[in-house]
Amino acid sequence: MNSSDKAVVVAGIKKSFGEVAALRNVSFEMNRGEVLGLLGPNGAGKTTTVNILSTLITPDSGRALIAGHDVVSDPAGVRRSLMLTGQHVALDDLLTGRENLLMFGRLQGLKKKVAKERAHELLEQFDLVDAGDRAVSTYSGGMKRRIDIACGLVVRPEVVFLDEPTTGLDPRSRQAIWELVTDFKEAGIATLLTTQYLEEADLLSDRIIVIDKGTVIAEGTADQLKERTGGTYCEIVPRQPSALPAMAAALGTMLPATIRATLSESADRISMPAPDGPATLIEALRRISEAGIELLDIALRRPSLDEVFLALTGDNTYGGDEDPTDKFQAVDSYA
Amino acid sequence: MIEHSIVSAAPRPATVPHAARPVVSTVQQWWVLTVRMITPTLRNGELATQIIGSVVFTIGYYLPLKQLMGAVQPLSSYAQYLTPLIVLQAIWFAAISAAFRSATDSVQGINRRFRAMPIASLTPLASRMTASMYRCCVALAVSVACGYVIGFRFHNGIVYAAGFVALALLIGAALAFIGDLIGIATQNPEATAPLMLVPQLTLGLASVGLQPVQNFPDWIQGFVRNQPLSQWVYGLQALAGDSTDKAPEVTWSVLAPGLAWAVGCILVAVALHAMVTRRRRR
Amino acid sequence: MTPAAEPTGHLAALQAPHAAGGRHRSHKQVWENSPQRLALQTWVLTARILRRWSRDPATLVQSLVMPAGFLVALDIVLGSGIEAVTGRSGLYGQVPLVALVGGMTGAIIGAVNIMREREVGLLSRFWVLPVHRAAGLLARLTADLVRIVVITLVVLCVGVALGFRFEQGVPAAIAWVFMPAIFGVALSAAVLTLALYSSNTIVPQATEIVIALLMFFSIGFVPLDQYPGWLQPIVEHQPVSYTIEAMRGLSLEGPIAEPVIWTVVWSAGIAAVCAMPLMIGYRKASKRG
Repeated sequence: MNSSDKAVVVAGIKKSFGEVAALRNVSFEMNRGEVLGLLGPNGAGKTTTVNILSTLITPDSGRALIAGHDVVSDPAGVRRSLMLTGQHVALDDLLTGRENLLMFGRLQGLKKKVAKERAHELLEQFDLVDAGDRAVSTYSGGMKRRIDIACGLVVRPEVVFLDEPTTGLDPRSRQAIWELVTDFKEAGIATLLTTQYLEEADLLSDRIIVIDKGTVIAEGTADQLKERTGGTYCEIVPRQPSALPAMAAALGTMLPATIRATLSESADRISMPAPDGPATLIEALRRISEAGIELLDIALRRPSLDEVFLALTGDNTYGGDEDPTDKFQAVDSYA
Repeated sequence: MIEHSIVSAAPRPATVPHAARPVVSTVQQWWVLTVRMITPTLRNGELATQIIGSVVFTIGYYLPLKQLMGAVQPLSSYAQYLTPLIVLQAIWFAAISAAFRSATDSVQGINRRFRAMPIASLTPLASRMTASMYRCCVALAVSVACGYVIGFRFHNGIVYAAGFVALALLIGAALAFIGDLIGIATQNPEATAPLMLVPQLTLGLASVGLQPVQNFPDWIQGFVRNQPLSQWVYGLQALAGDSTDKAPEVTWSVLAPGLAWAVGCILVAVALHAMVTRRRRR
Repeated sequence: MTPAAEPTGHLAALQAPHAAGGRHRSHKQVWENSPQRLALQTWVLTARILRRWSRDPATLVQSLVMPAGFLVALDIVLGSGIEAVTGRSGLYGQVPLVALVGGMTGAIIGAVNIMREREVGLLSRFWVLPVHRAAGLLARLTADLVRIVVITLVVLCVGVALGFRFEQGVPAAIAWVFMPAIFGVALSAAVLTLALYSSNTIVPQATEIVIALLMFFSIGFVPLDQYPGWLQPIVEHQPVSYTIEAMRGLSLEGPIAEPVIWTVVWSAGIAAVCAMPLMIGYRKASKRG
């Protein structure tokens, strides 16, 4: 077991639900202290992957190890090492925050006194002391998410799965969650983050994995993925849209013929590749100012992760394929 | 989102509807919502439980008590005496189902969604009531059929028989309103159903439906005689009549209290309903 | 367990104690299903459910107030008739009957509860915790046990106010208090099984019908000879009747051993039939994440 240093090892996982192949061949690894972003369109297999890794489903073939424990042969070990937060808060809402924390603590083996201290600590850390003795059903969305995560941290996990943790939260709460993820990193905990907010994945992840139709179609850092799909480009916006043809003419050879051909009547800007980065920008600026055209904006842009995502996954983002696991899940999936 | 090339994509034609917004028809909305509530019951066994429930109440009250009570009641047979109560219990059971459904809706938040759509505020309530009345009709039909099996007959002609049906359905409406109100107010499907079963049995026991009022201890006779279930039983017994002439007569003095109770319940329930929904809206 | 230096921010939250008795990086099988842990974990989960119920006014009313009212009504309406026929107070059959009905009706609450927690994802969350695999299910049954005993005691108090007395001594009285729980928990298991395999709306209605049947056709409602001849064997041998007969023997007079045995047989039978489907259904519901 030479991969015992890795926090998560996934090798060749396959899973089918009846005739539908949800996961064809998923493989990736995570180091300790790493944040891995898991992206993919609906029905790609993200939720199935997380479910398999948290021992809720068994794979048809392949291996997966969480903190060295095999999900099939040692699920108990996996459960000891894992913390799982679903998209929807899963707590007993008639109990107070403190009582929930106590319950989770005692369930995981803490003695009563220790559990009480721990509950107190967590309430302080997550700024829930005042609300700690009110029923969870009275909390706001952000508070519920905080207490949900706090309940997962009563005992130290080694791997954390966050499934869309900031969906529906106000900016301040989102910020708090982002800080938390950074703290996980510093503490050496591996974090698997599923999110639909691509800028969040961009911001937080060390590496990103894109899953589509049950396989990993791209893997790498955010920058690497962006390079893959087209690299930096230069965007030039003239003050008068009517000056666009003149501007295109001024750019001359810098503007590839393919893009020149697609200039339409209603366009208000030109986007062209910038292989030399800032040098390209300076040259473009020189040519345009020589032609005397006024500019509203000129900038170097990287493709956003959204564009990377769309480019990689084709047209499947707008609810294309049916999620095969829908049949097996209630409306709110917890994983 | 920034486009890479300068070709601006035309907006996808099909996603944004172009046609003018259709005119809202309250009747259509009411019908759609009603069908939505009724259709699942035909599939998932709710209809069957409704029918079985009516049968259970019939045999449950009749068979054990026939001997004990049969001797002390005035009509031609215990079946004739008892059937009105059975009808009421079956209808009450139907109203419980209504309560459960409205509580489930409330909790699942679909009511909130309806409130934000151009649906008249009364339409969801009206559709729930219609669905409940459908359940009450089933309950009524089955319990009268069971009554026939054990010996009950309509002795007063078809007009009064129709009156029997009408009164029973009015009571059903009242109970369904109350059930719906409880469901909406408590938002607690877990407790709503059992919450209504025991009062049903208790009030049924403490009414004249099982035995005449004289058989009760003196101190409780006032309560027994005047409670709504008893008044409804008197009304139904009067309308159904009897082969002897011991059944209550069909006069206003007999029917009025029962009608008043039913109508009163409806009015109070509707008023409270409006109050609860208004408070939620705030 | 807490570190010497106090880090600030969330880092402090992450200096959590390690789970007692757990080896973190062990590559051996981790003994999750150990018996000692089971008792404690079951108790923690049971306490949660009981705490929930004590906070919910509807549950409290249903469990405590309604059986009281029902008993009073039964006594008023049927009491004199039964006494005329049997020569003894009807309470000795009615108090057990109401305790049982209260206990059984409350099982519906537990069932609807589990369905809701399945949808919200709480079941899955508990499943992914390192607790004994049986703890969750056992906790629900234990909570029902406690609930039924409490209801029995409340109904007993009302019965005593109406004239019920224990005439067979204290040990019999104690056994009497726990009798409804025997069949009650078995029925709870059945209702839970039903809940795990079917839709939301069927469970309460179907269960209420079964409870009504068990109630109307038991010897606690009216004496056995009031029923038509062909019905009497059914009435006599159904589990609620056996429980009531046993309780009558324990409080007033009459056979004890035989009805107790039959009660246990019925309960064990129902529990045995439900056991596998219940466990499988619970597992499936938890894994629905």
